[in-house]
Amino acid sequence: MRIWMTGLAILLFVGGALFFALGPQRTTSITLTFHAKMGDDPLIFDEFVYDNPGGSGTFRVRDFRFYLSNLTLSQDGALFAEPDSYHLLRFDNPETIHSIRLNDIPLRSIEHVRFMIGVDPEANGSIQVRGDLDPNSQMAWNWEVGYKFVVMEGTLRIGEEVSPLVYHVGFSENAREVDIQLPPDIGSDGNADLHVNVDLAKLFGGPSQIDLQKLSSVKFNREDAAMLADNYATMMTPMFR
Amino acid sequence: MLRVFLTAAVAVMVAATAWVFWDRARGSTATPIAGFSAPFVFGRFAVPPDNPLTEEAFALGRHLFYDPILSGNNQVSCATCHMQALAFTDGLAKSPALSGGELEFSSMSLINLLWGQERFFWDGRATSLEAQALMPIQHPDEMDQDLDALITELQASRDYRRMFRKAYGEVSAENVARALSTFMRMLISTDSKYDRFLRGEVRLTAQEEHGRKLFMAHPDTKVSLRGGNCIDCHSQFLTSGFRDALDGFSNNGLDSDDDLPDGLMAVTGNPAHKGFFKVPTLRNIAVTAPYMHDGRFETLEEVMDHYNDGIVVSDTLSPLILEADNAPEAGQNTVGLRMTPGEVQSIIAFLNTLTDEGFLTNTQFSNPFEGDG
Repeated sequence: MRIWMTGLAILLFVGGALFFALGPQRTTSITLTFHAKMGDDPLIFDEFVYDNPGGSGTFRVRDFRFYLSNLTLSQDGALFAEPDSYHLLRFDNPETIHSIRLNDIPLRSIEHVRFMIGVDPEANGSIQVRGDLDPNSQMAWNWEVGYKFVVMEGTLRIGEEVSPLVYHVGFSENAREVDIQLPPDIGSDGNADLHVNVDLAKLFGGPSQIDLQKLSSVKFNREDAAMLADNYATMMTPMFR
Repeated sequence: MLRVFLTAAVAVMVAATAWVFWDRARGSTATPIAGFSAPFVFGRFAVPPDNPLTEEAFALGRHLFYDPILSGNNQVSCATCHMQALAFTDGLAKSPALSGGELEFSSMSLINLLWGQERFFWDGRATSLEAQALMPIQHPDEMDQDLDALITELQASRDYRRMFRKAYGEVSAENVARALSTFMRMLISTDSKYDRFLRGEVRLTAQEEHGRKLFMAHPDTKVSLRGGNCIDCHSQFLTSGFRDALDGFSNNGLDSDDDLPDGLMAVTGNPAHKGFFKVPTLRNIAVTAPYMHDGRFETLEEVMDHYNDGIVVSDTLSPLILEADNAPEAGQNTVGLRMTPGEVQSIIAFLNTLTDEGFLTNTQFSNPFEGDG
């Protein structure tokens, strides 16, 4: 009797080990790397190297950052939603990139990466600190208005004249959803590496072409903000190799 | 009977001696600071893992803060330039330098240092309070103390040996920095009228509320929104500069390119940071005159005049300051917010709600060598 029991236990153990070792992997890790660009080239801060897309003069960028929130990964019907998913993407580093790493997602592979540029209405109306949301940060307007979603600041120079550029786009209606479909070969080894270009030029040259001289600031005017939101909705392009 | 008494006496003496030796041998016996809380709107904070907040460290730090033993000539303490009644400033534009003349910068207030920027000094040269704490002690024009000499002096004191032992174990320069940092971290102000307003305990007057709204708004003439633009640099609840990266530093239009000091650029080497200085907390701002890194403004009225129409344009001036204007028509030769005198007074009324009398008189923060300590 005892021999039988021992034999059965060994069989179960070996069988189980084989099942887990040879079966398909159960989790996937992913690194999302966002590359700040102006057109095709890496974004350059603090230098007058860019032409006003809709008018005369050159401009420089002092600050470009935005909130990416509600990141979800999915495969077939299975969905993984990152908890407290509020990332402030800023690019003030030598590579002008920002990476988000998610480890051991309970999906066998990833077909869709979805997120929001901006913040969902519930979090936008809250003063709770979560993820990178911080009501005492530069991205907070004040607790009655919520967060700036996308910030670009700089200077326009026309001849000898310089003037400030201030684009602060917020308001819950201006969050824009992005859906990236991954080709099947990405992440088949359980480790997905996704690179996304973020083209700042699209902020001024998406569906609407902006003359930085005419529209040198956008803050609380709802129509202007919506126009820039429709522009930044197009600034993300995945790079697949 | 006598024998019993003697035996008991010897036993007590042995026990007492043993306890004294054990107490000395066991090193730090620090008690974590309990019941310490802060409003959730202040947000996250971090205490270095190698310097937890303890009662013993606080008590030691408080003694060190007020003790001129920290200076080379034993005449200058931290409190010489950081007086509690003035929210830990000294009321001077610039403090006198030991070698004559004056120091480079104005003495900064010490309030709610657990939150906001993680760099210290006007130019951000210290990246932690622990690093900050030892700099004025060694600066030849501030306290001019040699750290080895200081440790020798402290070791000669029985009281300090005991306090260091309880807090950390040994007397060392590192532990001086840790204790001073703990004391400074606990200088927490949470009971101004603004705090009580946020907790729903009091109402602001109509003028203060008007000032609060202006404080919290970046002006936008396109939608007829008037604003004082303060929140673009001073966070809404802490009123300090921002915590992330170098967001808490700015060029607020004090000087032209020709005489713009280096500021943060001296630390980062980045020309885009020239003329950037640390955005200070506005908590207790009414008692910390004079204002700015060099103390150039005597009153809050002068500060507001600066932002209203006295901005000096330079290359690294914040575009948010250059752009913020309440008047729809183009300005004539001046740059600033161009608010009405009434609006300016309202903002000053709001700034006065940031004074916390309890903080300025809290006996836990006062000189332990005076009074009932």
